Amino acid sequence: MSQVQARFFTENKKYLIDDVPFSIPAASEVADLSGVINKLLEAKNDGHKHVEFDFLVRGQFLRTSLASHMEKENISTEEVVEIEYVEKFTAPQPEECIMHDDWISSVEADSEWILTGSYDKTARIWSMEGKAVMTVAGHTDVVKDVAWVKRSENLQTGSLVVNDASLLLTASLDQTIMLWEWNSERNKVEARHCCRGHAGSVDTVAVDPTRTKVCVLPTVEEDEIEEPNRPRKKQKTEQMGLTRTPLMTFSGHNEAVSSVLWMDAEELCSASWDHTIRLWDAETGEQKSTLTGSKVFNSISYSPLCRRLASGSTDRHVRLWDPRSKDGSLVLLSLTSHNGWVTAVRWSPSHEHQLVSGSLDNVVKLWDTRSCKAPLYDLAAHEDKILCVDWTENGLILSGGADNKLYTYRYSTCVSDAGA
Amino acid sequence: MTKLKNKKRNLEENEDEQLPIFDKDGGEDAHLDDGDEDQGDLSDSEESVFSGLEESGSESDDEEEEDEEDGSEEKSSDIEEDKTADGDGDDQLSAKEVIKPQTDGQNSKEKKKKKKAAGKEGGEESVASVRDSGLQISSQVDEYEHDTSDEEDIRNTVGNIPMEWYKDYPHIGYDLEGKKIFKPIRNKDELDEFLDKMENPDYWRTVQDKMTGADIRLSDEQVDLVHRLQQGKFGDVNFNEYEPAIDFFSNEVMIHPVTNRPQDKRSFIPSLIEKEKVGKLVHAIKMGWIKPRRPKETTPQYYDLWAKEDPNSILGRHKMHVPAPKMKLPGHEESYNPPPEYLLSEEERLAWEQQDPEYRKLSFLPQKFACLRAVPAYSRFIHERFERCLDLYLCPRQRKMRVNVNPEDLIPKLPKPKDLQPFPTTQSLVYRGHSSLVRSISVSPSGQWLVSGSDDCTVRFWEVSTARCLKTVEVGGAVKGVAWNPNPSICLVAVSYDDTVVLLNPGLGDRLVCTATDQLISSYEEPEEVMDQSVQWAVAEGEGHEQGHRLILKHPKTVRQVTWHGKGDYLACVMPDNGSSLQVVIHQVSKRRTQNPFRKNKGLVQCVSFHPIRPYFFVATQRYVRVYNLIKQELTKKLMANCKWISSMAIHPGGDNVICGSYDCRLAWFDLDLSTKPYKVLRHHKKALRSVAYHRHYPLFASGSDDGSVIVCHGMVYNDLLQNPLIVPVKVLKGHTITHDLGVLDVTFHPTQPWVFSSGADGTVRLFT
Repeated sequence: MSQVQARFFTENKKYLIDDVPFSIPAASEVADLSGVINKLLEAKNDGHKHVEFDFLVRGQFLRTSLASHMEKENISTEEVVEIEYVEKFTAPQPEECIMHDDWISSVEADSEWILTGSYDKTARIWSMEGKAVMTVAGHTDVVKDVAWVKRSENLQTGSLVVNDASLLLTASLDQTIMLWEWNSERNKVEARHCCRGHAGSVDTVAVDPTRTKVCVLPTVEEDEIEEPNRPRKKQKTEQMGLTRTPLMTFSGHNEAVSSVLWMDAEELCSASWDHTIRLWDAETGEQKSTLTGSKVFNSISYSPLCRRLASGSTDRHVRLWDPRSKDGSLVLLSLTSHNGWVTAVRWSPSHEHQLVSGSLDNVVKLWDTRSCKAPLYDLAAHEDKILCVDWTENGLILSGGADNKLYTYRYSTCVSDAGA
Repeated sequence: MTKLKNKKRNLEENEDEQLPIFDKDGGEDAHLDDGDEDQGDLSDSEESVFSGLEESGSESDDEEEEDEEDGSEEKSSDIEEDKTADGDGDDQLSAKEVIKPQTDGQNSKEKKKKKKAAGKEGGEESVASVRDSGLQISSQVDEYEHDTSDEEDIRNTVGNIPMEWYKDYPHIGYDLEGKKIFKPIRNKDELDEFLDKMENPDYWRTVQDKMTGADIRLSDEQVDLVHRLQQGKFGDVNFNEYEPAIDFFSNEVMIHPVTNRPQDKRSFIPSLIEKEKVGKLVHAIKMGWIKPRRPKETTPQYYDLWAKEDPNSILGRHKMHVPAPKMKLPGHEESYNPPPEYLLSEEERLAWEQQDPEYRKLSFLPQKFACLRAVPAYSRFIHERFERCLDLYLCPRQRKMRVNVNPEDLIPKLPKPKDLQPFPTTQSLVYRGHSSLVRSISVSPSGQWLVSGSDDCTVRFWEVSTARCLKTVEVGGAVKGVAWNPNPSICLVAVSYDDTVVLLNPGLGDRLVCTATDQLISSYEEPEEVMDQSVQWAVAEGEGHEQGHRLILKHPKTVRQVTWHGKGDYLACVMPDNGSSLQVVIHQVSKRRTQNPFRKNKGLVQCVSFHPIRPYFFVATQRYVRVYNLIKQELTKKLMANCKWISSMAIHPGGDNVICGSYDCRLAWFDLDLSTKPYKVLRHHKKALRSVAYHRHYPLFASGSDDGSVIVCHGMVYNDLLQNPLIVPVKVLKGHTITHDLGVLDVTFHPTQPWVFSSGADGTVRLFT
């Protein structure tokens, strides 16, 4: 088998070529195929510039030679192979390295500001250029998680109208969640509420898509007489007053809850050390379904684009789940390349196939689900454990860890590919 | 003796040259002898019963009998001589002469005795030789006539006959092969004899052998013997005839007395009862009822070597079949018309010829013939056939007995480690911060925090999930032991250093619990009467309180280990001391009371532990683990660890199994229901074990050793009493570097996850998941 009949196609109009089968050497690799396409495009229009392409054979990225890939995937060599080609993703470009005083426990960024929580008991707000804008101090213990609640230009708080005011949440080891109001114009931060109710440290918070509710998770179970060793999840609505109590408690996990998120306005999802991912009805507080794994879950992420859950666990794998499956415990795919616990996963907000994961082995990996054996790129900048990653809508990847550094990467997803 | 005398006399007579008389006497003697013998025979015939019986007995008896007969012959001749010659015979002889006619049997017996005595005196050989020489000397007088000797010259087979019968023949008898023995050539006449007598210095000691007629020169010993006999001395030089007499028959009464009472008459005559019995036997033999001798079976006896084997079974017949060595099949070279490449070229042929036949590759030269008809006879045929026969004959016949053992059968059937998951497999986190060896670690009951005590005089609190050191508390000495209170509603950590145990409130976890713990401690009220305790309780104040110190317990000695009871109120401390009974103290924190549970010192206490459920208390000394019932206050069990020095101990959460690690690299698993001896001993570690631990939920246990490794084993305990625990080693975890010959110092499991923590001499704590 030296030659393979292949037909190339793409969804990018810019790089369309004739829909005819070609006979190409079976031993050719990505670079060879890319050269072939470029030659064809040059023949078609003179003004073509050289573009690196990546190739998909039946939804799987080509990483080895065509022959071995087809053998592995059990693709018949008798028929004409359909090969899709896309513009190659360029490597994320490192942008900033923001130094902190202590370990970075969490990061959340939007298009303008970066919010980080640190082990020095503060949360910080940074500009995209890495300039420290604000330090939010108020917790008596380590800040474990941060979240933007509202980035509104005009916020009605009580009677006075404040411009450029944002709301942010910090969750801490001191069992409290603080809601802060930050005025970016005046650069003033002010604690609005302190939420109590947890019997242990608060490890994770999540804000629902309508930005009105907060879901908060403790890692340590409250010792209740009726239900010992049950963790609680708390949900709050924004109410006036300095101290808030939970709206609702979700009980069911046997151990510490490590991650929580809103899937939509009515449904939320939590991952725990008791090897389960549970889905809850936010209205009634009932448990809807359970996904059971075999290892402790450290982090989960949900992509509304592909409606998949990604989980990072202590056994080095990133697993993809279908949350709609009723029987649970159905792993769609596992991405294996890390050497340590996967502490953070985050789906791309703009691309349905891509996600980023951070691990204790000091490496952030950028994955494409179409290539599950090897990641697209390894971002090995950190010198110590990675504790958090984030991916903003404008294509910025952030990672923070135990080396006190927050790295940002500019990842330019191909515009042409965004709609795919 | 009589014989000797006889010979002596012969010599004397020889000297006296009374030959003819003696000669005559001798003839008569012989004649009388015959008569005597007849008489003896007659008497014997009377006792034919005896002789028959004796014949059926052993052969030695027969010989004796013959001797007796010979003896009687000689004896009688002696007596005759005595009669004829001067009566210089001693009294005994004459007495015998008197006795003789009465009973021959008695006579013969006496003679036998005498003969035995003679044998004792000289030893048979010397006597025989002397007798021989004596006879020869007498034969010089009368060569062949007087021959009473029973000593036959085996060279001459003529037997006991008068040699004069051969007087006229050139030979004197026949040798064993039936050939004639010729008389030596005697061309000596009287003159020669005389000249010989004059000139030959050895003439006087030369005698003639009557059987062969040859001259024999007597040796010095023989001459000496003759002289001694002539002088009336004993033939044996060494015999001392003047030995001190021992008076056997004295008046002293001995334990086994001997008497000189003469033998009873009945001892000389055959008993009537015996005679009757013998008579019956003789009658029975005569009637053919019994056969005196069973006829010997002449047919040789064989046994069937193959009797046990079944001849029909093929295997039985061919079990030891050795196949003949196979011959090499002929190749192209052997062909009469081989392909040209097999034919040797000229050089090859020359080389072949020059080669030693042994080293030739081919034993023949391949040759090409036009047709098969032209092929001559093969010259090496006989040779090769012979070699083939040799091959067959010499082929090794010994069978090699191969035992077919499948190596997999030797491996015990254990479940695969894969099936025993989950268990820790990889190192996930390293908790760095300590600057010296970390002696002890403990995990909070929630599993969120870890405490470690080190030789750098600090206690550190870690967040398990991120390996973040959240708190460092300094204490006044190298920390020997830390223990987190297992009660989740109390937030206390017991830390031991030097002679002090400090109860720390780390302030981690639920604030309410922390404050509740502080309140619990501060709400203590001093009792009315103050008890005299060996341990001083004090409340920490000032800076210590800021750091988290709550209660300080001053012990009289260095505290090595602290351990909590499952309820979290009682705290046991170990102060190893060989001389004192105060080695283990149990504190009750809520009442601030201390008690010493043991009055006696049963050995150096290594570690102690509370039973997780029942009121038992485990105390490990160097070699034994003692189980005490705390309520009944008695010793329940004593486990023998079979090791030299126990280092650590852990109790299964079910409470019925105990593991002990020892400094001699062993880990012993005890099943308390089964025995006081180890159910299983594992020797997986290369060096001394420092710590062992059970998991609270999973069927796992781990051991840490000086070789820097942690070995995790699956240890399933079944509720079924009939099923023994299943122990499978599943993983060796490495990561700690060995410093100062110390590796892992403590291991402990996460309370909920299948994770194991280990602390090492390299100042790190590691988490394996």
